[in-house]
Amino acid sequence: MTISTPAATSAPNGARRRPGFHFPTGKVSFYGFCSLSYIFLLSPLVVVVGASLHRGTRYTVVKFPPEDLSLYWYTQIPDAHWEALTLSFGLAFMASMLACVVGIPAALGLVRSNIPLKGLFSSIFRAPLQIPSIVTGVAFLQMYYLFGDLTGLYVNGTFAGLLLGHLFVGIPYVVGTVGAVLQRFDTRLEEAAQSLGAGRITTFRRVTLPVIMPGVYAGGLYAFMVSFGDVPISIFLSAPGFVTFPVELFYGMENDFNPSVLASSTLVILFSLGLLLLMQRIVGLENLLRSGGGS
Amino acid sequence: MKARWDLILIPSFVLSFMLMAASQIIFLRASFYKDLGLGRQGEDIVFTNYGRFFTDEFYLDVLWLTIQVSFLAMLFTLVFGFPVAYMIARLRSRWAMILLAGIVISTFITIVIKVFGIYIMFSASGIVNQTLMGLGILDRPWTVIGNDAGVVVGLMHFTLGFGVLVLYSVVQTIPRSLEEAAQIHGSSRWRVWARVIVPLSLPGVTVSALMIFNMCMGAFTSAALLGGGRVFTLPVLIQRVVIMEVKYSMGGTLAAVLLISVLLINLLSIYLMTRMRKQRLVIT
Repeated sequence: MTISTPAATSAPNGARRRPGFHFPTGKVSFYGFCSLSYIFLLSPLVVVVGASLHRGTRYTVVKFPPEDLSLYWYTQIPDAHWEALTLSFGLAFMASMLACVVGIPAALGLVRSNIPLKGLFSSIFRAPLQIPSIVTGVAFLQMYYLFGDLTGLYVNGTFAGLLLGHLFVGIPYVVGTVGAVLQRFDTRLEEAAQSLGAGRITTFRRVTLPVIMPGVYAGGLYAFMVSFGDVPISIFLSAPGFVTFPVELFYGMENDFNPSVLASSTLVILFSLGLLLLMQRIVGLENLLRSGGGS
Repeated sequence: MKARWDLILIPSFVLSFMLMAASQIIFLRASFYKDLGLGRQGEDIVFTNYGRFFTDEFYLDVLWLTIQVSFLAMLFTLVFGFPVAYMIARLRSRWAMILLAGIVISTFITIVIKVFGIYIMFSASGIVNQTLMGLGILDRPWTVIGNDAGVVVGLMHFTLGFGVLVLYSVVQTIPRSLEEAAQIHGSSRWRVWARVIVPLSLPGVTVSALMIFNMCMGAFTSAALLGGGRVFTLPVLIQRVVIMEVKYSMGGTLAAVLLISVLLINLLSIYLMTRMRKQRLVIT
């Protein structure tokens, strides 16, 4: 592994450099090494999109690079996939919206109040990210069973049951991103609005909300994507015939393999790309990352 | 007129706290029950499940394997992720944003779809095996599906993108001027790496490594799919025990062991963080 810093090779006064032409071996191998990660991360996506365009005969249906270009498999997407996609989309949309409804007040309260043990409160909000998703899935399933035994209302295998589980993991993202924006918030803006006669609600709607919006978008987007791609929670909380798209694919992979899943997967890839581009347009990629999705 | 921000906090906090406390207490309590078969559980608190876990070699092997593959995936994630994070953090052009976007895209797309791609690439007639056999490197098709190597590859698909993003923020805390200063004073680029970049990023990298290790320990989807039903890590076993064997209590016990291991690593990470903050090793 040869590594160099780009700055080192381009620095004109870098020491110990022989004069004359110098092939930047270090630089090239450094960038080469970095490109391996990109190949590793992105090639499966390229392969799925490519292979979905290959028509093929019965025994050579999956092929990359595609030779027999056609959109045939896009017409063969089974109804079960469309239903699963609709469920996944509705679930992710509702979960991210509710995560904002719960998360924005939480972030405001955490950043602006003077309650004691603030660190403890914020770590409780962050806790769902520390618990492995599979544990959350098992725990919610058992909670639903107990709740059902007590009240006769079983929510496992229903939209509400799935939604609650997805909301649980979505909230911390919104709290994290909105909290990060609020910490940089200049409160004098609000004071200015209020001294000019704006009420508390007007101030919030016209000043606070627009400023924290990048954080809301970023957190909402994270909550959406986490819900949209989740398997370990949904696999416990869904029921036969009522599954999210990733779970449908998960089971499909264990059973029969039909190339139409590549077509529906490609649609999901394109949808995710589109959503990311849209968000990038609205708030900018820098904002999406800076507001701390890793928290 | 002052806003009562602490009151605004209450409803959200109650909801989050209730969901967490209820679900965790219920499953932890159930992990002490006895499985009576067909999903029924006993009512008495017994230690049978935990006793079985820590005496049965099968379960201990599963735990050990989970730790091994998580460690390897963490190591490779750091080795491959750090240079990328460094490269992006030091680029001045708009390429930095484009390269970051590439990482974000890959982390945003559900791992199940990526596994499809890996399946196709590593199938006997897939692009990887055809290339390697064509070059004479392999004489038989080789696959990552259904073996430990596959699980490590799957875990890396789960962690590499996240790892780059976390390490990127670590590299950003190292002022570029320090590297330039070392160069002006005659350091070779190797020396800059050895004496400036690595020592300064070590605290941040350590904490990132623990985070990545934790993600691997809890990773279900990629481990299950690339393990192909033959490799059992703890999360894969949990799903199997609960859904296929309908042993909720044993599943709860396994989940509790996983949860506690992850929490212990977290505590270690928090401890390291506070110590480093005190020594002013990290700039946050």
